Amino acid sequence: MLLLSLCTVGALAQGQKGSAPIFHVIPMRGVDFVLRNSLTQKKYLIETMPGGVAMLDYNNDGLMDIFLVNAGHVRDPMSPGMGFDRHEPAYWNRLYRQNKDGSFTDVTEQAGLANAGDTNYGMGVAVGDYDNDGYPDIYVTNYGKNILYHNNGDGTFTDVTAKAGVGAGGWSVSAGFFDYDNDGRLDLFVTRYLDWSVEKSKTCGEKQPTYCPPGDFPPIANILYHNRGDGTFEDVSVSSGIAAKKGHSLGVAFADYDGDGFTDVFVANDVTAQFLFHNNGNGTFSEVGLDSGAALTSNGKMLSGMGVAFQDYDNDGLPDLVVTELPHQPYIAFHNEGQGAFSAEELESGFGALSGKVSGWGVGLEDFDNDGWKDAFIVQGHVFDNISFYDGSLHYLDPPLLAINRKGHFEKGDAGSDVPVAGRGAAFGDLNNDGWIDVVTTSLGEHPRLFQNRGGNQHWLTISLRGKRSNRDGFGARVQVNGQTRFATATGSYLSSNDKRLHFGLGDVDAANIEIHWPSGIRQTIRNVKADQFLVVEESTAP
Amino acid sequence: MTHALLWVSLLLQTQTAAPAVPAEATSFLQSGMQSENTNDVESAISAYRRAADLAPSSAIVFFRLGAAYVKKADYTDAIPPLKHAAELNPDAPAIQQMLGFALLGAGFASEAIPHFEKVNEAGALGIAQLQAGLPADSVANLRAALARTPSDPDLLFYLSRAAAQLSSQSLDNLLASFPDSPRAHQAKGQTDWQQKMYAEAEKEYQKALALRPDLPGLRLELGQVYEAQSDWPKAENEFRQEAKTQPGSAEAAYRLGDVLLQEGKMKEAAEELQRSNRIGPDMADTLYSLGRATASSDPATAVRAFTRVTELEKQTSLAAQAYLALAGVHRKLGKNEQASRDMQDYRDIRALIAVAP
Repeated sequence: MLLLSLCTVGALAQGQKGSAPIFHVIPMRGVDFVLRNSLTQKKYLIETMPGGVAMLDYNNDGLMDIFLVNAGHVRDPMSPGMGFDRHEPAYWNRLYRQNKDGSFTDVTEQAGLANAGDTNYGMGVAVGDYDNDGYPDIYVTNYGKNILYHNNGDGTFTDVTAKAGVGAGGWSVSAGFFDYDNDGRLDLFVTRYLDWSVEKSKTCGEKQPTYCPPGDFPPIANILYHNRGDGTFEDVSVSSGIAAKKGHSLGVAFADYDGDGFTDVFVANDVTAQFLFHNNGNGTFSEVGLDSGAALTSNGKMLSGMGVAFQDYDNDGLPDLVVTELPHQPYIAFHNEGQGAFSAEELESGFGALSGKVSGWGVGLEDFDNDGWKDAFIVQGHVFDNISFYDGSLHYLDPPLLAINRKGHFEKGDAGSDVPVAGRGAAFGDLNNDGWIDVVTTSLGEHPRLFQNRGGNQHWLTISLRGKRSNRDGFGARVQVNGQTRFATATGSYLSSNDKRLHFGLGDVDAANIEIHWPSGIRQTIRNVKADQFLVVEESTAP
Repeated sequence: MTHALLWVSLLLQTQTAAPAVPAEATSFLQSGMQSENTNDVESAISAYRRAADLAPSSAIVFFRLGAAYVKKADYTDAIPPLKHAAELNPDAPAIQQMLGFALLGAGFASEAIPHFEKVNEAGALGIAQLQAGLPADSVANLRAALARTPSDPDLLFYLSRAAAQLSSQSLDNLLASFPDSPRAHQAKGQTDWQQKMYAEAEKEYQKALALRPDLPGLRLELGQVYEAQSDWPKAENEFRQEAKTQPGSAEAAYRLGDVLLQEGKMKEAAEELQRSNRIGPDMADTLYSLGRATASSDPATAVRAFTRVTELEKQTSLAAQAYLALAGVHRKLGKNEQASRDMQDYRDIRALIAVAP
């Protein structure tokens, strides 16, 4: 079976590779959102880091909707004890419902999402059906208190943070829902950046004020919440071992990298070793980044990990990692060698030639050209707005990078836009349900941008999982289609949440064999499925 | 200045010779020395002054008076008695040294030089020459002094200053005398490069190349300017041309191999790095890059290269990197126990480096 599948993938590689742009950047009709991060002369580090975007179908009408996290108003300078300001509607988070004609309608107020927490500074978003009621819930991370919005199923949400006990505190960044103990309920992981406050803020730079590096601030622990199943969560950060490691954490992604049936956690750390939390299967995690080879660059250097994608890019069935970072180091591909080992292959993968001058944030491993190999899309832009003053070879604004996967080696593709922006968040999914993966990105001080896939002639298959014994979203399932593997998750990128459906490019093959390994342990096989369809697969009851 | 005081301290401790002094003056002299022993410098100066009034021809009295002023860092007041002492006994090394220190401390570096020369005091002489704007002589003398006391941090500090001044002075001379020479443009390019002014550096190197395209090392440096900007294709082009015109240059081959590595051209990189290793065997950087270039395709070669790095480098950051890389290769080969040992070596070296001064 595996051999046959690999042969199929090999045949796909011979498929078309056009030189035309994969995407065209089009306005999102009805979306007037601007990511207002409030740049100041005081150079508060926080203003460089927002904001997230989610692609979700909140009302189950079959159309992907968009949730955008805004940042907040920052006074310049801030007084001690002063909070950020989200009171003005311009600083609200926004939910845009997609209409049948592809336009969007702002439903923030009617959905009950207008209150972002007046003193919060917004960062990211996670989406997952934590109560298995069939409707996706939204968790927003902030500097301040995070907010869990329960989806009521009628187009509205209720802030249930206090009841759920997931407010966290400090500087939260990325978050994601996953079921670490395979009890059928989604748990929640939250990364936190560093121990920072307005009072502790510093300004750096000898000749011109600029932002201080993260190493100037103490590291802080991440948070793991266990879902009790009654609408409340328990903070198990300490008992699980997650809090034993402090870092400067930004991105987070999930996959079962060693095939033991339990979902593991990778955390991208800024100027610290990367964390790979191995799930021990008993409610605890062991941080094994260094010993597994997934902590440092291939020359043993720390990387400034920002965003991360955790999917199989070379179709060997094992989830690999792509981590974005700051300039003068290439983006890292940690190739999964099996037996729990990774190799840092930033050069072999081709990312060395594609990066080094740029800063990467949101990242996705998706098959944009439906040829059976997952490509990479990375939004870019430096942290410092005055970086060119300090290093003439670098820019604050950069266009995104599309890296086309040629049998596991990445080469520069045409993303369809050379417009430089301070890119941050990126969510991936099939926004217009045409079978081709689109991208929505966020940029500081800008409207979000839609990179709509131009499509082509290749076949595809998109699978929606319906867990029964497993969590309803099917997060944590390993799904294999014609020799390709995807790990079911909406988490990854930077601050963002992706379309939870699993998309597979099939090349010129018009049928697929599907094998699903559910978190419950159930293995489900579906043969000879017709290509070019959205398939809903409900978890079988028999193992 | 700290250094000067150390010298003074040493000098006072070793001073033994004393010309004949009248009895009353001797009494004041001894009183002054006792005050100095209790760190009462003001009383010592007062006593030495009384002795000097009584024994105007005693070199030791004026030396003690001047030295006491030096002790309280009052160099201006130290100079007249020390000069007088030197007139009375021009052959006394201690007086010459102390006068030199007083002059140096007061900012008269040029005047201090002959006094240090007389006593062949290379370290102090080098410092005086540095402050007098004679960096070439300063470097020579400081190096001579360091040959005797190689771990003297003060001498190392002044040597680094002198070398920097010499470099700057030489560059100024070059630019003033031959402003449009290829070497002048190369030098300006280097300065711009160090200041991360890459566009300016590139222009200077291009000017130099236009004048002397055959000048060895020019393309190597220009390539490194591109390398610093992560502009690998342009760096490759420069290194390739340098390697072509300098086929016997191990560094050119290494640079080319390394930039090919950055571009992910692993096979070409390995070939070029092997060539560099044949020209200049056992260069740790070359071997490390060779290991990286072959880690996926030829693990046996990678293991040999990384292992050799650990033998050459012992307890350096590069050795730690090599052990980390070895662990990766061994994990890939399924040799997990060996990988664990490599990781332990990696951790041991990292710990050593972390606590190193």
